Amino acid sequence: MTSKGFRRAMLACMWIVLAFMYIPIIAIIFMSFNKTQYGGFPYVFTTKWYTTLFTTSNLLPAAMFSLRFAFLVTIVAVVVGTLCAYGMQYYTPKFAKRFNTILQLPIIIPWMVTAISLLLLFSFIGVGRSYVSMFLGNLIVVLPYVVLLVNGRFVDMDRTPESAAALLGASPGRVFMDVTLPAIAPGMLAGGIMALIMCFNNFVIQYYLIPVGENTLPTLVFTRIRSEYQADLNALSAIIVLIAVVVVILLSKLGFSAGSLMGMGGGNKKEGN
Amino acid sequence: MKKKKSDFRPNSLWTLPSAGLLLFLTVIPLIMLLVFSFMNRNLFAGQPWPGWTLKNITRMFHSAPYWKLMAKSLGIASIVTLICIAAAYPASWAIAKIVKPKNRSMFMMIVILPFFTSQLLLIYSMMNLIKTGGVLLTAMDAIGIHGMTTWLYTNKATVLILVYEYLPYMILCLYSSLEGIGDNIIQASLILGASKTKTFTNIVFPMSLPGLLSGILLVFVPVAGSFMEPGLVGGAGGSMVGSMIDTQYSTSLNMGYGAALSCALLIILSVIMALVRYFAARAERAIGGEPS
Repeated sequence: MTSKGFRRAMLACMWIVLAFMYIPIIAIIFMSFNKTQYGGFPYVFTTKWYTTLFTTSNLLPAAMFSLRFAFLVTIVAVVVGTLCAYGMQYYTPKFAKRFNTILQLPIIIPWMVTAISLLLLFSFIGVGRSYVSMFLGNLIVVLPYVVLLVNGRFVDMDRTPESAAALLGASPGRVFMDVTLPAIAPGMLAGGIMALIMCFNNFVIQYYLIPVGENTLPTLVFTRIRSEYQADLNALSAIIVLIAVVVVILLSKLGFSAGSLMGMGGGNKKEGN
Repeated sequence: MKKKKSDFRPNSLWTLPSAGLLLFLTVIPLIMLLVFSFMNRNLFAGQPWPGWTLKNITRMFHSAPYWKLMAKSLGIASIVTLICIAAAYPASWAIAKIVKPKNRSMFMMIVILPFFTSQLLLIYSMMNLIKTGGVLLTAMDAIGIHGMTTWLYTNKATVLILVYEYLPYMILCLYSSLEGIGDNIIQASLILGASKTKTFTNIVFPMSLPGLLSGILLVFVPVAGSFMEPGLVGGAGGSMVGSMIDTQYSTSLNMGYGAALSCALLIILSVIMALVRYFAARAERAIGGEPS
């Protein structure tokens, strides 16, 4: 397993996989500077699609809306999810196991089924498609990830400093704020990032629950891909890729590994989904 | 942590908001999905409660297109999962074992970077790459491969796009398992005279099973339930079972029938996943590997 040929073959496979993942992305950045309306050749350099994106395009407002919406969902998910992970530490093991099963339902069930069942629920109570429905739908989809990531920190951490602080006279609130919170902060951050990205991207839930005629970025991109090629979409893709690169570099500088961000490895207890 | 003997501790009440959300937004909707499978009309606010019927269920069992699409979706999900495993296993091995240790986390960051962009934009960029007159076909034309037709708007495109979307998950799962296998264990096995094949089947493969299993679950289930990808790139004959369910809600508005179809999908997927877990557990025991 350690012969030179074998290692070379494995490395070649890795590079092929990386090329497969990145060629479309590089191509789209390349085409975002192409003048032809429908992305054909010959290639003529231009930056006019970026100008379009920042002036007349409806993509940018949708992107900004999606971003604000994702932040709102994330904040609520992190607060509620952290409290949940904290409370879970005080469950009996048997009850914790049962709770975990229910907690993982939104992860296991295909998003489409979740979205449809929520649409039924909201139609039933008379709300139907609305921003509130969409908010709750996205919240329930990301909440388990936050809980699992924060719970992973609790499982890994040493709980004795909390008892020590309480013994030395700190109020329960103070213990939580000064001792517990700093220890679980990396888990909260990872959960928050996960929630933010999932909300920003979640097409399926938004497609079924958004008010008729309104658009988030994913639903707008979906509609526009179906209608025709639009060059400002290339420009937006290029910008989003750039932002992603910056975010990923920042996160790795902060000491996050890929596994800890996606909720795998480390102290994570997400056994086989 | 679990020192006290009493069953209830007040701090556990902090889980109540999440428990409430899970109850109202997951458990109850799922029950409603089941109940709605037996409803004869659509439900809208202010209208009287629809009556009960078995029509949706019988219609589902007699619907040839539904079962055909179901078989097709499960087939596509299997193909996509297998391609992902075939591509991800060597790649994850390379990152976990061959790349210099200090570069490993960088490579993994490169693998998950596409996840930080938008899923739809990824699909869009792949569509643009492979379309007629796109970069790929133009490049192939330029190097002398002529007469290629685009995969776009065929089932092949659906498979390609789904592999593209879900490959990073598989790599991530396999990487975390493979990384945990100590080099000394592999060395020991080889030094003690086991062949390379035997080292793989007896050491590496069993130890990678947990990662492989979560990878299969993370890829197979969403792929089987996908409807957006076939709708965008699959063309006229590209429908999957998700597309048919979607039609009941976005076009023909037949909530009860749609609910019945999704219930059946959910049940079939659960059974498949339970089987996968069962066989993985058995394989693990048979080979004698320990879960990492």
